[in-house]
Amino acid sequence: MKRTIAALLIAAAALPLIAMGGSESGVETVTVWHSNSGKAGAAFDQIVEDFNATIGKEKGIEIEPVYQGLANDVLTKVKAAASADLSSLPDIAQMDATSCLDMMNADYLITIDELGFDTSILLPQAVEAFSSYKGLLGLPFSCSLLLAYYDKTLFDSLGLEPPRTLDELTGIAPLIGAKDSSGKVTRYAMAGVPTTYELGAFIGAQEGLSYFVDNENGHAGTPTEVLFGKEGTFRNFLEHWKKLADTGYLNSIGSGTTTEFAAGRTAIILASSSSLTRILADVSGRFEVGTAFVPMTDEDATGGVNIGGDALFCFSGSDAVKTVLGYLTSPDVQMMWAKETGYIAVNTGIYDDPDYIGFLKENPAYSKAVEEMHASNPKVVGIWLPSAYQIYYSFQSNVMDVAEGNKSIDQAVDDMVATVQDALDTYAAANID
Amino acid sequence: MSKRNLKAYAYLAPALLLAILFSYIPLAESIVSSFLRISQNGAVRGFAGLGNYAGLFRSEAFLRSVGHTIIFALLFLPLNTVLTIAAAAATRRKGKWTAVAEFIFISPMAVSLAAYAMIFKEMFRGRVSIISRILSTDIAWLESPGTAMLVLAMLGVFLDFGIDYILILSGFRSIERDVLDAAELDGAGSLRMLFSIELPMIRTIISATIFMAVKDALLISAPVMILTEGGPFRSTETVMYFYYLEAFKSGNRAVESTIATLSAAVSMLSMALIAIRRKHALKDI
Repeated sequence: MKRTIAALLIAAAALPLIAMGGSESGVETVTVWHSNSGKAGAAFDQIVEDFNATIGKEKGIEIEPVYQGLANDVLTKVKAAASADLSSLPDIAQMDATSCLDMMNADYLITIDELGFDTSILLPQAVEAFSSYKGLLGLPFSCSLLLAYYDKTLFDSLGLEPPRTLDELTGIAPLIGAKDSSGKVTRYAMAGVPTTYELGAFIGAQEGLSYFVDNENGHAGTPTEVLFGKEGTFRNFLEHWKKLADTGYLNSIGSGTTTEFAAGRTAIILASSSSLTRILADVSGRFEVGTAFVPMTDEDATGGVNIGGDALFCFSGSDAVKTVLGYLTSPDVQMMWAKETGYIAVNTGIYDDPDYIGFLKENPAYSKAVEEMHASNPKVVGIWLPSAYQIYYSFQSNVMDVAEGNKSIDQAVDDMVATVQDALDTYAAANID
Repeated sequence: MSKRNLKAYAYLAPALLLAILFSYIPLAESIVSSFLRISQNGAVRGFAGLGNYAGLFRSEAFLRSVGHTIIFALLFLPLNTVLTIAAAAATRRKGKWTAVAEFIFISPMAVSLAAYAMIFKEMFRGRVSIISRILSTDIAWLESPGTAMLVLAMLGVFLDFGIDYILILSGFRSIERDVLDAAELDGAGSLRMLFSIELPMIRTIISATIFMAVKDALLISAPVMILTEGGPFRSTETVMYFYYLEAFKSGNRAVESTIATLSAAVSMLSMALIAIRRKHALKDI
């Protein structure tokens, strides 16, 4: 059964290639699998079109972009392609942190160091996010982090500042929330269920720097031991989160938080800084959208947030690939990408550009993300775990169960430690010598 | 071997070849793999004994997925059986408008599963979905565990409805006219006719559709992938979806083989049980 599905996946992945027909002779094609859709998709298509019409035409290189679904779907397809036949791999795949552990241990990956690509101009925090003991796994392309979005009109009318800690949020929850005459909540203080991504900040920030798992969250080597249990960081988060839930103004929904926010049914949400343009479009001026640092568990949680986003992972080391990488991280492309999507530009060359400075000034919501990045400990890095997709949903279920009172905090911590430790053990037994 | 036998084997050969290539060899491979440790690239790293099985039964998510599959089957089977029989029974006599009804009931077959799953996803999306508007509620169908499973079961019914309807309808229509005439002469009313004469006469077809529905319920995965992705909060993760996650998202090859082996064992066991029962049933006659 798996073979059949693998074959189908590859066939589906290859379909756009066949549809496009073979490339003209003398033109080298660089296939890029990506996950950009919506506004980002249109921007990415434009970036590719520009390349093919200018630099590409001069040098005889053509980028062939292939949309492969969400970031995690790209990883799924890369692994399926690699296990079937290495030649079906793309030249470049745009993936996020959830793919890093697999890529770190994949013998078919060509690291950026092996490519000999100069990264000195790139944002150090973004480079750190994809660095491992084997070198830089992928070239940072887009950089984002967790940000708090709030209804600034509402906060201003109440004379409130966005909360800095979860306890502060719990304190003001009844003020920013609202109920109708029958006692039904019409506006929640916060909506969402934190999972791996959000916990990266909630746990990572504690005591200035806390890791989920050993080996610096997997960056210094394949993780072997769960730390968030014995260090009490997950418990600490759950205790604060439960207090917030007990106010009755927490809406524990696993998806659709931005819709709830845009509809005015929740005062604060946590979302990636890269969602900025979409959220602004959804709200479409009904109220002023403010952005703020993520409210942390307590005053001692000073580490800030981890840098996320996407990197370009290479499976071919040709000069054409290097040219494409250089183009995609070039000042012009990064400037356009940042403006269109809300991602932080990874090319520091544009940080002195009056155009970029002007853009930041005009978009305070965007510049908050940059500010938060500089205020964060660069060692608070993304969590590289095996079975990341499943662990993501396990965290989500457990946090939701605690918030809704279906599970005790003790039980949730024990269950998550067991789940993650099991995943680490299974992975190590199968993949590590 | 006689010439006649040879001819029979020649006819059988293509099917047998396909079965060996795509069912039996992979199955044998899965069984062997379930006792090994295998890397993501397919390299065998050693012998695992019963470790993969033990790990699977330790996994909360796997055990839950078994529970979800059973809940799905319990929702889907009665709904599917009752609705298809009711629709077929209501249109079993050819009349002026039955062709229209038949067309409506059969048409779900003409659209792909993925398309229907997407349509369902749109109809039930969010708190202000089309369905919630029609029913004037504010239920977020796909965001609460109970209702998401219900929507999944409804989608399942929708997907199986066309084929089951055709089978049962043709069953009804193939009943000999004289049997019905005789019953009518004896004064059987239409309900009596349906429950005492017609349904018993087509029970083999009904059991065949139920059998197919059981198989569909236990193997459900594609609608889950599109409609709910196992959510919300892993509440619609079925065994086959869990298998998909292990195999393709997480790349745990040995775990994947273990699940495949277990499900093959379960289906073989149930086939054997059915075969034994049929043998007894035949003896009774």
